[in-house]
Amino acid sequence: MKIIKKIFKPVFFILFLLFTVSILALSIRGVYGNPTTETLNSLYFKDDGPLELSPEKGRFALIYSLIEDKSFHFSLPVAKTVTPDLGYQDGKYVSLFDPGVSIIAAPGYIIGKYFNVSQFGSFAVIALFALANALLIMGVAKKLGANGIASSLAGLVFLFGTPAFAYAVTLYQHHVTVFLMLLSIFLLVKYKGILPLFFVWILVVGSLIADYPNFFLFLPIGIYALGRVFPIEDIDNRVKLNIKILGLISFITILIPVSLFLWVHKVSYGDPLQLAGTVRSVKDFDVDGSPLFREDLLRREGKVLEAETLNKGKTPIGFFKTRNFIKGLYLHLVSDERGILVFTPVLLLSLIGIYYSYVKIPKVTALLLALIGMNIAVYSMWGDPWGGWAFGSRYLIPSYALLSIFVAFTLTKFRGRGLVLILFLVLAAYSISVSTLGALTSNKIPPKVEAVALEPISGKKEHYTYLRNWEFLSNNGSKSFVFQTFGKDYVTARQYFFMVVGSIIIVMTGQIIYLYLTARKDPPSRKATEGERI
Amino acid sequence: MKMPNFTLSLSIQKHTLSNIQNWIERNALSLIVFVLTILSILLFLFYYLNGLGLAYNDARSHLDIGRRVVEGLKPGIAQLGSVWLPLPHVLMIPTIWIDIFWHSGLSGALVSMVSFVSMGVIIYLFLKSLGAGLLGRFFGVIVFVANLNILYLQSTAMTELLLMATMTIGCYYLLLWAKKEEVLYLIKSAFFIMLSTLTRYDGWFLFLFAALLVAVKVLIKHGFKISLGQLKEVYQETEGKLILFSTLAGFGIALWFLWNLVIFKDPLYFAFGPFSARTQQAQLEAAGELHTKYNIVLSTVLYLYALIYNSYAFTVILGLFGLIALWFSKIKTEIKVAAMALLAPLFFNVLALFLGHSVLFIQGISGNTWFNVRYGIMLLPAIAVFTGFLVDKLKNLRWTFIGLFAFTTFFAFSSGDSVAIDDARVGSSQKNVTEVSGWLSRNAKDRTGFILISAASHDAIIFSSGLPMKKFIHEGTGAYWESATTAPDRWARWIVMRTHDDNDLVWKDVSRSEGFKKYILVDSYPFADIYELDEKYLGDLNTGPTFGKQK
Repeated sequence: MKIIKKIFKPVFFILFLLFTVSILALSIRGVYGNPTTETLNSLYFKDDGPLELSPEKGRFALIYSLIEDKSFHFSLPVAKTVTPDLGYQDGKYVSLFDPGVSIIAAPGYIIGKYFNVSQFGSFAVIALFALANALLIMGVAKKLGANGIASSLAGLVFLFGTPAFAYAVTLYQHHVTVFLMLLSIFLLVKYKGILPLFFVWILVVGSLIADYPNFFLFLPIGIYALGRVFPIEDIDNRVKLNIKILGLISFITILIPVSLFLWVHKVSYGDPLQLAGTVRSVKDFDVDGSPLFREDLLRREGKVLEAETLNKGKTPIGFFKTRNFIKGLYLHLVSDERGILVFTPVLLLSLIGIYYSYVKIPKVTALLLALIGMNIAVYSMWGDPWGGWAFGSRYLIPSYALLSIFVAFTLTKFRGRGLVLILFLVLAAYSISVSTLGALTSNKIPPKVEAVALEPISGKKEHYTYLRNWEFLSNNGSKSFVFQTFGKDYVTARQYFFMVVGSIIIVMTGQIIYLYLTARKDPPSRKATEGERI
Repeated sequence: MKMPNFTLSLSIQKHTLSNIQNWIERNALSLIVFVLTILSILLFLFYYLNGLGLAYNDARSHLDIGRRVVEGLKPGIAQLGSVWLPLPHVLMIPTIWIDIFWHSGLSGALVSMVSFVSMGVIIYLFLKSLGAGLLGRFFGVIVFVANLNILYLQSTAMTELLLMATMTIGCYYLLLWAKKEEVLYLIKSAFFIMLSTLTRYDGWFLFLFAALLVAVKVLIKHGFKISLGQLKEVYQETEGKLILFSTLAGFGIALWFLWNLVIFKDPLYFAFGPFSARTQQAQLEAAGELHTKYNIVLSTVLYLYALIYNSYAFTVILGLFGLIALWFSKIKTEIKVAAMALLAPLFFNVLALFLGHSVLFIQGISGNTWFNVRYGIMLLPAIAVFTGFLVDKLKNLRWTFIGLFAFTTFFAFSSGDSVAIDDARVGSSQKNVTEVSGWLSRNAKDRTGFILISAASHDAIIFSSGLPMKKFIHEGTGAYWESATTAPDRWARWIVMRTHDDNDLVWKDVSRSEGFKKYILVDSYPFADIYELDEKYLGDLNTGPTFGKQK
């Protein structure tokens, strides 16, 4: 029996890897061919293709510039693809998006270019991060004491059962952020002592290169890690505050990401401390190719901006307002536009897991809840909680990952309860269907307010929920590279969708049955697990 | 994974820590009073210097009411009137006679400032009574203080802080009574609730709510499974406690009825008189602006928005968790029930909106303006107490909560998030009368003669003009008012009123009089027009207080 178990573990892991890689490969968005300055601005790559929205357009344009033009600045033809999210600094066109993701995805571009699929190659890098995230969720959940199968289910829930799926197949920063976050947590829960801190500081500070709000998102990890540098001990009749010299030395590793950050910003914006989002943005181009700014466009419309508005510079903290909090919270949690309740209700089961996790490992649970709380707070205060045109709440992807860990706890606790597992399966099937719909079609879902405004122009009902994706799919639309390149001659988009969704649900059902059967055979033990000792 | 262990250590004896904790505990109240007093003074100066301290129209009216008691053509206690309950104005009397205290708003703000400091103390004590540790207690105080709406309102002559303080102290003593069963606490609770009934009508609801809780508390003490024989005993005890409580707590209400009967010859004058809130609400209803009336969903939604905007969303969520934690804690049920008195403002405000006795505009929901949004701040003491309790109970999550609270509060301050200020600056609670009051200040200051004006409509103009109260003939000036509205040309050199608006009592009375024809319209402004008596009639004009002391 032990031998079977020993063999089963690596086999299961390999099968798990093969399965997730296959599903991701079937879903990555893309079209055949290497874009050039002539084709980059075409419908083939843009609206009808994988570069449908400004975040992926801006980031891909930067990769293109880095590889093809060897520059952090855009040439005019490339700049034109990026508007209206284009920056202008010292007479040069620059990206308004943090450059980290473009730098990370550049190797994918180079490899893809060799096979004439440079765009697909770039996007595949993010899919690799997504895969790594699923594995890290598995690893963290197991390390904290969750059952192995339950942990792998949690990984799958995150990857395919949340809107994270739709951002695993395109060029966004979220999976990179989640990777850095989960890896930091994994290092902290797996290894005791100071050594992991040498890496954690790199990850925490390095996260800033991927996305600036990570400064806030990673604060709880930083504070938690600091606890290891300054541990407090309760010994008999005294309290001892320790200062770990090696811990202090570990801070030196911060210099690596800080130098990288400063260098990237120096070459991008001419000032190492200039942040991407605070650069003056170009809204259009004049006939002679010179940039037009907001005030130019308003002047052309005969409107005059007040001096106060003109002089109001963008500040990093100016994007966050507590007045937005309640609206943001509603949008992220319950609204049909972006809410967890509508897009990924399977995560509701994490609430039970939070309770059991808190009872079992209160300190780590507090860290995970702080991260979730920070994520929700930051993006509820954000001026645009919708994330522009987007599928689901993309800003909450870090929370989806952390909540998935708690789902593993729920499944572990109730692995012998058939009804709970059926409920999980039903919620997971729904969430997977919705998320796969988003991944295989498009992220171009407008906020309700914009959809309503569009209706008189388009003369038709403009959906602002995943029904818009369904409409797209029903018109035989899918942005999957595999479907576009090979599949569309053999199956319809809808059939393709059902194949992908069906595969995920079947695999998860098999895992749940296995989980249930093993639980019946081997009921949850009261013996302390590894996680309880953390 | 073994690493060499280079460690510097700093040891503190536990008894040293314990001594420090004891010292803090012993001096906590002094510390709170000291810090909050400094903060309160600095904030008052800040809002006074930037001109926001007197932005609320109501703040100026409150100050004028207090001033009229000590100065004017007919000073006296009757000037307290019937529009607002009297306690805030009575408390201004000792200082309002000093011009700088009146015109800076300090006379009213002082009441708010003392209340603010008291609130810090009472929240600390409340949490202590609930068994919370030092951190929880201080955190509760911080939740209350780290709020821009509170910091602003404590710097003004508005009545929110005084109401909050009297209500919360009343609730605190009710809690102590529920905990210790000492009747003195019930009397103290009744006294402070009585004060709250003399501050705002919210206090009247608290009186009823607290009375109900007193009855429930007695029942809980005896248990619900009581024999028929015990029933009489329980009834008698309940009756006794209720009478004891209500006699004092309801005394202020009785006094108010009596006041209205004596001064205005109608005990319900405050409720049905021409200046009552009911009359104002009727006007709003006629204009189709009273959307919450008989709409419980909208009433609840609007108040919850006001609550969230005032207290900040994350803090409200923490407070809600704290309430749940308190309710499911091992604390005795009687104590929990008594603590629920803190929730009275929630029920009162929703009910008042539903019945059409109150009006509240939230920008984005009820049009594009704010009005009375500050009512939402009334739940902040409850939120502070519940949040402090939560932080105390969930030890492993306390730093998570505190960290997130600090984070969101930082952005509340960095984004200047204060709906109370927005309402005062750009909402319907503001009234920018600088043009008209500026005209009066420039043209009437050094010239003899009275100004006829309706205080009910234009108290803000009276205040902002900077002129002495005795320069004005208004509704509260008895014989002067009666004479001036009948023969204005004999009494008023200037008339300030809204032309063609019968809601303005001066226009209603004067425009039909013969003497009004002798006036020239000298200027028109958004809130009022100014008429001046033609110079050729100045010879017949009374310019001095000829009626002497009136009754």
